[in-house]
Amino acid sequence: MRFASHDAPKPRRAHRSEPVILFAVSNLSFVIAAEDVQEIRSTDSLAGAAVEIAEPLLEKVHHTMERAHRTYYIVNGCAHFSLRIARPTLVLIMRQVRVAVLVDRIERMSEISAVYALPRAFTGAERRWYRGLAYLDDHVIPVVSPTGFLTVEEFKSLDEQSSRDAVRQDLEGAVRT
Amino acid sequence: MSTREFAAGASFVLLQVGNRRFGLPAEIVSELAPPVRLHTFPHTTPLVAGVIVRRGRIVPVFDVSSILSGKSSFNHRFYLIAQRRAGNTAEASAIPLSGECELTTAEMRQPGDGRAAYVAGLLQIGDETIEVLDFEKLVNSSARQASESAPAEARP
Repeated sequence: MRFASHDAPKPRRAHRSEPVILFAVSNLSFVIAAEDVQEIRSTDSLAGAAVEIAEPLLEKVHHTMERAHRTYYIVNGCAHFSLRIARPTLVLIMRQVRVAVLVDRIERMSEISAVYALPRAFTGAERRWYRGLAYLDDHVIPVVSPTGFLTVEEFKSLDEQSSRDAVRQDLEGAVRT
Repeated sequence: MSTREFAAGASFVLLQVGNRRFGLPAEIVSELAPPVRLHTFPHTTPLVAGVIVRRGRIVPVFDVSSILSGKSSFNHRFYLIAQRRAGNTAEASAIPLSGECELTTAEMRQPGDGRAAYVAGLLQIGDETIEVLDFEKLVNSSARQASESAPAEARP
């Protein structure tokens, strides 16, 4: 048995560094690849653009927004990670998926040299939430997967509800006129 | 655990969890590490308290004391790092310990009825009967038990 010394995790092979955004949700830090984020906006600037879902299907999705004629679902980061609800000030609009995520704040931009695999001991929803783990300034921080915020099934249910709501609003508009 | 491992004179690491001592087959134990920083982040896996960084690896920490002694081990003094099967490969995993470890050679006998499924056998050390843990079963059965008794909830 050995009494080992402390050291940082070693990447198995050299990787090019990856620009990342460090952000906080309920005072916990997360990392997301900068290329996964299309835009960062303040929640105040969303006031006119966000549409409240009358009967939310998911606890974490209460609003939608339209972008380039597509419906984006606004996911509350605290609710997604089952954390204490904090007051979000920013929204990260994803590039590849129709998701915008409410977060407390951006901590900073940085670069990571490797994404370490999530240990197999983790068997829950976190395997979907995270691409892996990053080691940054002596901290192990989860690297968020943009596709982990909503499952395919959740997208389908939300899209169906969105379509139904649109039809209902059209009908209501027609009745009023 | 195979019958070969029940052979007389096998080596075991005796570890202190709460007020009790348990045994682990020495062959799966890698090292005893100081109480380095526990890194935590939201997840839903029962028993996993977080991760530590050891020897260039990110090692998950299982808070088995909640199962073995009924309370979480926040005042631990060491991490015992052992190999456990994870799919087709072995993965280093850590257990927080509240006391010293001891290496011993002893004959393990069958646990008999009435013991938890994670008890692989028993060691008789003086007047003390020590349960030898099957690490894999301890983690898996306890995790299953926890997930069945409570819905998945993320823990930072």
